[in-house]
Amino acid sequence: MVVAGAVGTPSGPPPIPIEVDGLTKRYGSHLALDDLSFVARAGRVTGFLGPNGSGKTTTMKVMLDLASADGGGATIGGTRYRDLPDPTSVVGALVESNAFHPGRSGRNQLRILADVDGLDAERVDEVLETVGLGGAADRPVGGYSLGMRQRLGLGCALLGDPPVLILDEPANGLDPKGIREMRDLLRARAAAGGTTLVSSHLLAEVELLADDVVVVDRGRLVAEGALDDLRTETVAVRCSDPSRLASILEGAGANVNRDGGELSVQGLSEEETGRLAFDAGIVIHRLHAESGTLEERFLRWTATAGEASR
Amino acid sequence: MSPLRLFRAEIRKLTTTRMPLAFLAVLAGVGAINASLVRWGTDFDGSKAFISTGADQQSLMAFGQNALLICGLFGAVAGAREHTYGTAIWTFLASPRRARAVAAQLAAVAAGGAVLGTAGALLTAIGVSGAAVTTEFGFLVSAGGVLRVVVAAAFCGAIGAVLGAGLGVVVRNAGGAVTGVVLALMVVPPLLVQLSADAAPWVPSALATTLSGITLEAAGAERQAGVGAALAVLVLWAVVPSVAAFVATDRRDVV
Repeated sequence: MVVAGAVGTPSGPPPIPIEVDGLTKRYGSHLALDDLSFVARAGRVTGFLGPNGSGKTTTMKVMLDLASADGGGATIGGTRYRDLPDPTSVVGALVESNAFHPGRSGRNQLRILADVDGLDAERVDEVLETVGLGGAADRPVGGYSLGMRQRLGLGCALLGDPPVLILDEPANGLDPKGIREMRDLLRARAAAGGTTLVSSHLLAEVELLADDVVVVDRGRLVAEGALDDLRTETVAVRCSDPSRLASILEGAGANVNRDGGELSVQGLSEEETGRLAFDAGIVIHRLHAESGTLEERFLRWTATAGEASR
Repeated sequence: MSPLRLFRAEIRKLTTTRMPLAFLAVLAGVGAINASLVRWGTDFDGSKAFISTGADQQSLMAFGQNALLICGLFGAVAGAREHTYGTAIWTFLASPRRARAVAAQLAAVAAGGAVLGTAGALLTAIGVSGAAVTTEFGFLVSAGGVLRVVVAAAFCGAIGAVLGAGLGVVVRNAGGAVTGVVLALMVVPPLLVQLSADAAPWVPSALATTLSGITLEAAGAERQAGVGAALAVLVLWAVVPSVAAFVATDRRDVV
């Protein structure tokens, strides 16, 4: 895969956010999406995280009008996907990495999409080189490895050079070099003003790739925001009167956990916590924002959501 | 999204796998069987009376019924595999107004069926004529008769393919779609005739025979549809699964 820049970066697109508003989807009695709302902003890579079966793929399918919603909706730049006049020139999507006829070559798969998009064979060659399949382009897809199919899927998404990318687990099956190249490609597109929503189970990869994250569990939003903010969301406090400070902080809307003499505060910044303690005349011994890996945060968010739903 | 672009893409889908070649091989096989029958086959009395007239030979060459069934299977596989392999996802991403995508697919499959039907009729005509000239009767079918058989096969191929593709899109499974085609063309029509003898001229095989310029009198049928009516009713046989395909595709989530 050739690193981004030469080919496949959106050329100065207007900002096109992806907005999901109150999305609800049922499969029989199973509530797959429960009033889900979030925004993926332009010029950012948004990581879309959640445990298996949490509704990530369903959300993407509803965004792309591959599935219908029972409530709410999703828009891309304020327009529903089905109302986009030439959707593949606005949105590139990868929702099923194995959606290829095994007897058809990678080149022909792309040429079919190029026919639909009104693109020429040169663009197909360009994309094949971009995703590193130039040498295997004329082999049947049935002989491709999972990683090669993933590259082909990414090529399909990039073919129309769209400013918006919606990718479901694009790193699945890629080798470390492929993951690195994909990351560079997506970062370059975001830097050029594109909007990218990427679902992934590879949290370490998301930490390197994403600017923002959206976390869902059981179809519900459990966390959303800039990755850096979310990683440092907890403030740890040691003070002269933990019980009184806990009451004050909870009164200010924070969620406070007591761990011996230390308080763990969620929902207030370091500055706000310090100010409230100062105003109450409580002596602070130690106060700092706690950082954690995305994995630690993810497990906490999803565990909390699980407890809440029980 | 331009309908022409979608149609072109659907044609490329059909021509970039080996499936059409497999069906061409089947058609060549059918042509060879017919040629063998003419060259070496005899009636019970050892004569070759079954090819003694131009009408007999044209009846032997008539490929409409075969085109219906073979192209029905072609359409069924082509329609169902889009969903079996998930390639329909790419189409619906490019054309979220799914009715357009289904229309393009059915149009492309109809074109493919017409080509296969034509090829089958030509291969059979070549086989039969080549074998007939080696017999005492020679080849007796007029150019107009050959043309009628070929045109009928092209039309029946298109209709069969659309019928099969419609079922394939509804069922989304090649095995189920193939079974559906066999039921629709080989099991249901005789049952309809059993229920009402008046249905006999309107079942697909009788309609294909009519279009090929063959009279049903020899088969003991009392009535035969006119060509115009045969065309219209044969189209109806394909319209029903096509409408089902449009409705099902529009209402269902793509999985």
